[in-house]
Amino acid sequence: MYDNRASESAVTADDIKIEAKGVNVHYGTTHAIKDVDVSILDKTVTAFIGPSGCGKSTFLRCINRMNDTIDVARVTGDIRIDGEDINDARVDPVQLRAKVGMVFQKPNPFPKSIYDNVAYGPKIHGLAKNKGDLDDIVERALRRGAIWDEVKDRLHAPGTGLSGGQQQRLCIARAVATEPEVLLMDEPCSALDPIATGQVEELIDELRRDYSVVIVTHSMQQAARVSQKTAFFHLGNLIEYGDTDEIFTNPKDPKTESYITGRIG
Amino acid sequence: MPFYWTLAIIALLCAAGYVLGRRKAVASVGGDKRRLHSLPNFYGMNVALKGAVPAFGLLVFWLIAQPLFVEWRVSSIVSDLAVSEARDLGLVMVDVRRVADGLDTAVATGTMTASEATDIAAGDGNVRERLGAAGVALGSEVSEPVLRAAQRYRALSSTGDTLRSVAVLAVLLLGLGWAYRETDGEFRARNVVEQGVLALLLGAACIAILTTLGIVLSLIFNTIEFFSIYPASEFFFSTTWSPSFGGGSSLGILPLLWGTLYISLIALAVAVPIGLMAAIYLSEYASPRVRGVAKPALEILAGIPTIVYGLFALLTVGPALMVVFGDGGLGWMQAGTAVMTAGLVMGIMLIPFVSSLSDDIINAVPQSMRDGSYGLGATQSETVRQVVLPAALPGIVGAILLAASRAIGETMIVVLGAGAAARISPNPFEAMTTVTAKIVSQLTGDADFSSPEALVAFALGMTLFVLTLGLNVFALYIVRKYREQYE
Amino acid sequence: MTDATQIPSSGAARPAGKSIITTDDRTKKRNAAEKRFRMYGIAAILAGIACLVVLLGSILMNGASAFQQTFIQVPVYLNPEAVDPNGNRDPEEMGSATTFTYKPIVVDAMAALVEERGIETEIDPGDMDALFSAAAVAQVRDRVLANPELVGETVTFNILASSRVDGYLKERVSRDSVARDSNIDAGHLDIVDELRAEGDVVKRFNWDFIFGADASESRPEQAGMGVAMLGSFFMMLVVLGLSLPIGVAASIYLEEFAPQNRLTDIIEVNISNLAAVPSIVFGILGLAVFIQFMEFPQSAPLVGGLVLTLMTLPTIIISTRAALKSVPPSIRDAALGVGASKMQSVFHHVLPLAMPGILTGTIIGLAQALGETAPLLLIGMVGYIATNYPDGVASGFLDPNSAMPAQIYEWAKRADPAYYERAWGGIIILLVFLFAMNAIAILLRRKFERRW
Repeated sequence: MYDNRASESAVTADDIKIEAKGVNVHYGTTHAIKDVDVSILDKTVTAFIGPSGCGKSTFLRCINRMNDTIDVARVTGDIRIDGEDINDARVDPVQLRAKVGMVFQKPNPFPKSIYDNVAYGPKIHGLAKNKGDLDDIVERALRRGAIWDEVKDRLHAPGTGLSGGQQQRLCIARAVATEPEVLLMDEPCSALDPIATGQVEELIDELRRDYSVVIVTHSMQQAARVSQKTAFFHLGNLIEYGDTDEIFTNPKDPKTESYITGRIG
Repeated sequence: MPFYWTLAIIALLCAAGYVLGRRKAVASVGGDKRRLHSLPNFYGMNVALKGAVPAFGLLVFWLIAQPLFVEWRVSSIVSDLAVSEARDLGLVMVDVRRVADGLDTAVATGTMTASEATDIAAGDGNVRERLGAAGVALGSEVSEPVLRAAQRYRALSSTGDTLRSVAVLAVLLLGLGWAYRETDGEFRARNVVEQGVLALLLGAACIAILTTLGIVLSLIFNTIEFFSIYPASEFFFSTTWSPSFGGGSSLGILPLLWGTLYISLIALAVAVPIGLMAAIYLSEYASPRVRGVAKPALEILAGIPTIVYGLFALLTVGPALMVVFGDGGLGWMQAGTAVMTAGLVMGIMLIPFVSSLSDDIINAVPQSMRDGSYGLGATQSETVRQVVLPAALPGIVGAILLAASRAIGETMIVVLGAGAAARISPNPFEAMTTVTAKIVSQLTGDADFSSPEALVAFALGMTLFVLTLGLNVFALYIVRKYREQYE
Repeated sequence: MTDATQIPSSGAARPAGKSIITTDDRTKKRNAAEKRFRMYGIAAILAGIACLVVLLGSILMNGASAFQQTFIQVPVYLNPEAVDPNGNRDPEEMGSATTFTYKPIVVDAMAALVEERGIETEIDPGDMDALFSAAAVAQVRDRVLANPELVGETVTFNILASSRVDGYLKERVSRDSVARDSNIDAGHLDIVDELRAEGDVVKRFNWDFIFGADASESRPEQAGMGVAMLGSFFMMLVVLGLSLPIGVAASIYLEEFAPQNRLTDIIEVNISNLAAVPSIVFGILGLAVFIQFMEFPQSAPLVGGLVLTLMTLPTIIISTRAALKSVPPSIRDAALGVGASKMQSVFHHVLPLAMPGILTGTIIGLAQALGETAPLLLIGMVGYIATNYPDGVASGFLDPNSAMPAQIYEWAKRADPAYYERAWGGIIILLVFLFAMNAIAILLRRKFERRW
């Protein structure tokens, strides 16, 4: 049931949301990302695949400047969102991150209630005018996170008490609540069991209607299932980028082919 | 000094046992060490251990038991006297010990011959004056039963000392001989020695238990004695503290507790905001270079002995506060030693304590929490205030409780900085005193240890011990629960 | 996933294309809050460091002068008739002349000096004793007894000036305060000013403060830390000799051999609680158990050492266990793999590897014990005036003595403010030891730090 989704993607607009040119990242003395150019489309799921340590997560963290929080990381190059350079001195990373949401590898709900987890973003960004407004935003986000039915009766129970899959969907709802335009997902299913993975993947496909979604994944099957575009990273280089169908059926680069067929990785 | 001689003889004989045991083991296999079950050293150690351990055990036991025994035997002599004069038996025994010590000193300095000391009677000559000549001052004339008891005390002690040396040496030789006999090439010396060493290690670990036991027993016995001569309800509920060694003291703990808590509160009011903010800055904001300078600088404060803080309070902070709040300034303060002085200085002392504990606790909050918050577009301070601190709250509460327990148990700062007047007053610029300061003042005078004025210190110590122990157990429990949450 | 279909699309509600380059008002406000919060942090750090600076500054400013002492250079005529009435220069017989005999000699010498320098003064020549310390007389007597040939000659002595004169040179004593002082008059200070101009009164480095003994309440100019330092030294010997072996043995047992049982739990709980028991309670323990029950001598460094040992044991055990824990299990496995017994693997391999960590922890524990005062108060190490050096090792352990922090406390309690300077100076000496010990611990850690 999944494989026909990729072809459906052709209907979405192909305007470019994020454009990266000549991006390099150094962690101390290691050169983690080498001269990467990539254009990410709006209302599309883009998958970053590659063996572990290839730099795909690092690149993802460049897009909302999460690397700023790591002292030794140094990012150079040009990344534009809607034509605006995110590394411009005038850009406040806080505003950038409100626009580019992120979901992490391990579900990381705050040690607060489910409600407060979701309300946290809207509160700090001042999205709600009053309590009723906030309630609406939380409910909407939880519905979009496809977890509303499971938690609506215990909104004030701690978020950490949920199961792994529920926690991750809560984190997605939390990210969605701040109304981002881009959603970055760093291996969102790696800590989940197959059933929870299926639920999250279905959700990702759903989110494509409104957002540009970028997902880093370890699993090629997952990339094939959820994404329309795929980028293959290897040792810090972007080896190949194109339509997911193309990459998996007809890779141009021999390295991509080796990876897909399981010879490296 | 027969005691040191005993020690020396034990050491010497054990060394000899080691050499002989080793030699016998090697000889038993005709010099071919490979045929021994264990390395030759183990045979030597086996002999030495089997000699030394029982001998030392007996020695220690004897050292503890003999005074108890002698006391028990001697007290039967003077118990009639205690009854007839309606005096406490303990007080009479203090006299007996003092006279006995005096006789010892007199013999040692040569003002009395050994036989005179054992035979002298209260009727012959002036015992008090003769002892006074030897440098032993006695409070009153020595009565006949006391003198006899003292002589009996000396006789029993010296017999006991002789017996002790003999018994210890006998046990030592028996142990050595037994171990020497069992030594031969087949003997599993290593296993036996390792068992012995393990027992010794366990013994060392048990010293912690013994220490706690010692603390608890010494507090409990003296506290019970105190409550037998002073009503407990007075102690716990009276609001006046005015010890007078002539008797008729009023020994209420409430003013002391008030002073203790007031000073601790001020200390925490200084240390917690500064320490916590410093910890937040160091763990969330500071560059490695700033951290590398500021953290050790704060830790220097933790390494400075409390006597230094005490002097700082007495001679620097107190006079400085007097300039602002004293007669020349606002006129709220009478003297440099006050609750405020001690509280401020104790606060300074606790800054590094709070900051390093909070630092550890904040660092234990997983990075993924912060990432989650940054990923939503929160600023660093929003992340700290709304995510990191709530997550770390139980741990921080634990740290503050530990700091409170430190503040309550602190002695030198309050002895020097808080003054000596026990009072319950809301004015922080007045001198007040604390439980610890009074423990010191009640036990460092020349007071008789069996008077309520001295014994009250043990009841105060008991209160202090229970209070700080309770806080600690609770705080450690919270901190442990907190750590488990993120492990 | 039934609710997926009912999702209200929020795409329309989203404000389209919000620029990230222009900072909106709310973000500005949030950034201001951020800046304020950061300032609180910096303020807290600065407050902490300011406390440190003020503390160290007041120690140095108040204590440095203790290392300087005022001396008066005065030629003394050692009158044979007074000093050696029998005229045979026999030190034994001359010993019967006490300091009472010598005092007039020094007073006369002082008066002669004042006259020789041509100083006009109202002060009666007989009152010159306010200028020099009572110790100065003993100083002259000792020199004469050691060297009887000097009798009859005029010898120039460097005698200790009195505490008031010393205070005047150090600006502790002013002419105002002298007006209310019965020990010295303004006229004396005039003499001091003149003699100082002539170079007869000088301030010099005070070795006696570091190595000398404590003096009575009335002679602050003579008091020194030397004996208390020895007292502390003997105490530290006891602490080191007991706490290192016991601490290491207990840690080895708990870390390597202890089974998971009730006893082990009790021991562990005990150790962590003992670490937080107030030090004064250990003083009570020492008083009740060692002095009252076992009848050890009061004020003896041995008892102080025992109490401090019990107090530092938990610290040492905790750090030793951390050091043992940091030795990876692979080392133990390797030793066991070649047929060593468990005991041998621990003593031959694990313990030597953990040794630097253990020593570091021990030194830090010792430093803590060195500065600890409260328990020493209860076992009688305060109030005892340490005027004599112990003779020999046994007396060092058993004879009454003071200890550095106890000596500082003793000085701080004395009425004469001249003793405050001594107390601050004593702190400097104490801190030098503590810093040295901590520096050694840090060096050890740096040198042997190992990453497995």
